[in-house]
Amino acid sequence: MVDDTPPSARTGEASTSPVAAVELKGITKRFGEVVACDRVDLSVSRGEIHGLLGQNGAGKSTLMKVLLGLLTPDAGTILINGRPVVVKDPLAAAEMGIAMVHQHFSVIGALTVWENVTLGEPGRLDGKRAIRHVTEIAERYGLDVDPLTRLDELTPGQRQRVEIIKCLRRDPTILILDEPTSVLTLSESEELFGTLRKVVLDEGRAVVLISHKLDEILNATDKVTIMRDGRVVERAVTAETDAAGLARGMVGRDVVLRSSAAGLGLLEEAERTVEQRTSATPDLDATGTAAAPVILRVDQARHTTRDGRTLLDGLSLELARGEILGLAGVEGNGQAALEEMLTSLIALDTGTVEVDGVEIRTGRPGSMANAGVTVIPEDRHQAGCVLGMTVAENLVLDDVQRVCNRRIISPRLIRRQAEELIEQFGIKTPSPNTPMASLSGGNQQRVVLARAIRREPKVLVAAQPTHGLDVGAVEYMTEQLRAAAARGVAVLLISTELEEILSLADRIAVIHRGRILGVVDRADVDLERIGLMMGGHPA
Amino acid sequence: MEEPAGSETLLAKVAGTTTRTSRRNRLLANIALYVVAMALALAVSSVLIVAATEAAPFDVFHAMYEGSLSRPSAIGLTLDRAMPILIVAVGGIIATRAAMFNIGLEGQLMVGGLVGAVVALKLGLPAGAALPLTLVASAVGGALWAGIASLLRFWRGVDVVISTLLLNFVAIEVLSFALNKSWLLQETSSNTQKLPQSDRLEPAYQITRIGEQPGFSVSTGIFLAVILAGVVMFALARTRWGFRLKMLGMNPNAARAAGVSMAAVGGGALVMSGAFAGLAGGVVFAGTAFRIQPGYSANIGNDGLLCALIARRNVAATLPVAFFFGAMRAGGGFLAATGVPRYLVDVVQPLLVLAALLPPAVLFLWDRRQALRLARSEADSHDEPALIGAAA
Repeated sequence: MVDDTPPSARTGEASTSPVAAVELKGITKRFGEVVACDRVDLSVSRGEIHGLLGQNGAGKSTLMKVLLGLLTPDAGTILINGRPVVVKDPLAAAEMGIAMVHQHFSVIGALTVWENVTLGEPGRLDGKRAIRHVTEIAERYGLDVDPLTRLDELTPGQRQRVEIIKCLRRDPTILILDEPTSVLTLSESEELFGTLRKVVLDEGRAVVLISHKLDEILNATDKVTIMRDGRVVERAVTAETDAAGLARGMVGRDVVLRSSAAGLGLLEEAERTVEQRTSATPDLDATGTAAAPVILRVDQARHTTRDGRTLLDGLSLELARGEILGLAGVEGNGQAALEEMLTSLIALDTGTVEVDGVEIRTGRPGSMANAGVTVIPEDRHQAGCVLGMTVAENLVLDDVQRVCNRRIISPRLIRRQAEELIEQFGIKTPSPNTPMASLSGGNQQRVVLARAIRREPKVLVAAQPTHGLDVGAVEYMTEQLRAAAARGVAVLLISTELEEILSLADRIAVIHRGRILGVVDRADVDLERIGLMMGGHPA
Repeated sequence: MEEPAGSETLLAKVAGTTTRTSRRNRLLANIALYVVAMALALAVSSVLIVAATEAAPFDVFHAMYEGSLSRPSAIGLTLDRAMPILIVAVGGIIATRAAMFNIGLEGQLMVGGLVGAVVALKLGLPAGAALPLTLVASAVGGALWAGIASLLRFWRGVDVVISTLLLNFVAIEVLSFALNKSWLLQETSSNTQKLPQSDRLEPAYQITRIGEQPGFSVSTGIFLAVILAGVVMFALARTRWGFRLKMLGMNPNAARAAGVSMAAVGGGALVMSGAFAGLAGGVVFAGTAFRIQPGYSANIGNDGLLCALIARRNVAATLPVAFFFGAMRAGGGFLAATGVPRYLVDVVQPLLVLAALLPPAVLFLWDRRQALRLARSEADSHDEPALIGAAA
């Protein structure tokens, strides 16, 4: 299954074409100390759909940005049709026949389909010819879309078709699709893969499909390259592999070793809080010991955005007193919506949220905070802090009354409370009256944490709490979360980093497409199964 | 590794620099900018004056000074003019703090004065009770007018800028309607040809004045205006309400998470700014105009809006700015009386206002350039493109 032969040797045996359409050799790209791509080799032939699989941060997108000329690699070469080239910017990439359909569309809503397709092309604009051309491409590939409609009237699936038409119009040799199905319905996804197959078979183009969905990789690709932590860990012919093998490659085995070591310190806690009523799988019922009371219960939560994307699709979960529930999953599977819902930013269409047995009205300002749910948000600048206010003010953001006499803020109280928290949480700031904006990211995060914990919440939601922090800050945050759980707070840890979840959580729930695919106890973690669930396989 | 910060972060970083030297440099830059801008405005005005009238520019500026600041009576007039502008501006700042851009202050002022006039002229109230009721009614009138925009915003999602602006035009029509209906506000003179204007307010119903012309004389309304500014300044800085308003204006998401309702607090701020504008209308009616006529609002609401914009979020700054606007009005009136054509006065005045607006604008652009540079240097160290948009 694992193909360890170097790509250069493999291209020789590929029957469709003697020379790879595109070949990346030893690509290395560093961001500061982080190595996003570490000597990555990738070779894609004409007539082939090549899957690029990996978790968030595995280096897939960085690699493609290098190929597109958006990033300059620190080392390595790019060969197009066997000739070494330097891709200095996206325009150069386009000339070499490299086209990419981005995950987040780069189309303009106020323009029509044909206008979007021709956008950015040099020379005089011939509307009629462009419309004819768009219609022609649409028909040839079965990408049904009217060139005269405005983009903002289209569904996400149709918008993507426009992106693909835009790419195909330039007659690319290599077509890259970044997580193309994340916005599509199932039938739309099938149509898309039909189109891709046609593009590859009839016209001999090469397609790179970036994905974290195992089914997609299995069904739609010819070959697959799996990346982890910036390295290629496996190359395989898709037909010779299976979901379990892909999941193993994506999640990695070395994780087990490291996290189980970290987990040792947790053993007591893990034993104390084993409680699973949301058992989606049989092996969970076995370990039910001293059942802590359920504090947070989300039942059949459903939320659809105005433009028709279903972010939460019947999500249910239960969180007990004193436990840390890790919510694992690939980014963009409803975690953000869950976090926003628990921050009272969005309301559920259907479904209920109960805190301590009391149903909470979702989406009503402050309803969650008042019920005892505090959130350390993923993007603290979004709802976590107010940059224009001082550190002292940010520390009382959701609880001003505490520093008020009647309705007048007491400068003495606000200062004293700030000094206490600054001391207790080791926030590095020149003074409590320093503007929040001039603190470093790690210290801003401490302010958010201090405020969340100071309120003595029943439920503490931490979304990517260590994202972008340095090692020391990560350790501090981790300790605080454990300490909170030890005090009896129910902690929901939302993270895309499996390692973080494995080292902290008592139970692990996996979210996929807005619903929980399964809940596993920390004690009987099976990485392969988690990987499968993250890839959308209910296990 | 730190994630690349957003544009607002960087802007706040640059503008919020706290070291003493940088603060002093900013102050010096500010002063220098004002000097340069004023000199420019005076130069351009001079050229225009010479070209149009062949009068000596110095005489013209001297006349403006004469009319606004030279004598006690002129200062009194300036304060009279500044009074409603200050009230409007203080209300305007309440709305700006909550990031509600109420640009319909003029219309709210118009409607407020109108409602006040109906109460004062038509209800036959005893002289003692009439004035407070007139002012309260004016505030309520302005609040209701702004309330329409607030309702549209939170019930139907209509943009506040658009609704408040368009309601200005509706207010003009409402005023005209009221002044043309004898059962509403049209004057009750015995003339056969009735003008579209209200009766004159009896002296007993007017806001008291201090001092006698030709000496220093000023409407006591100015005290009301200054006291209101003080109260609002305290409320914004020190109350729970002020805290929530600021939070809402700076980060609506954080405010929502903390339990601040956009509709209640934001909409409330919009209504309150309308109440202040309406009150200003009542003060104009009962303090200086004594009669409602078409166009009686004379752009006072718009000047108040400008004043609030120049003062940004700072109530204390409205005091000098409103005084400046009052001086412009008083001086401009005097200048017109000396024979300089009205159109020139209308050009010179806004030129000076522009000069007053220039320094904050330049400083803002300067900050943004610094922020961009900072963003680029951060982006370089990350090799990631950082997106910088215009700050809100």
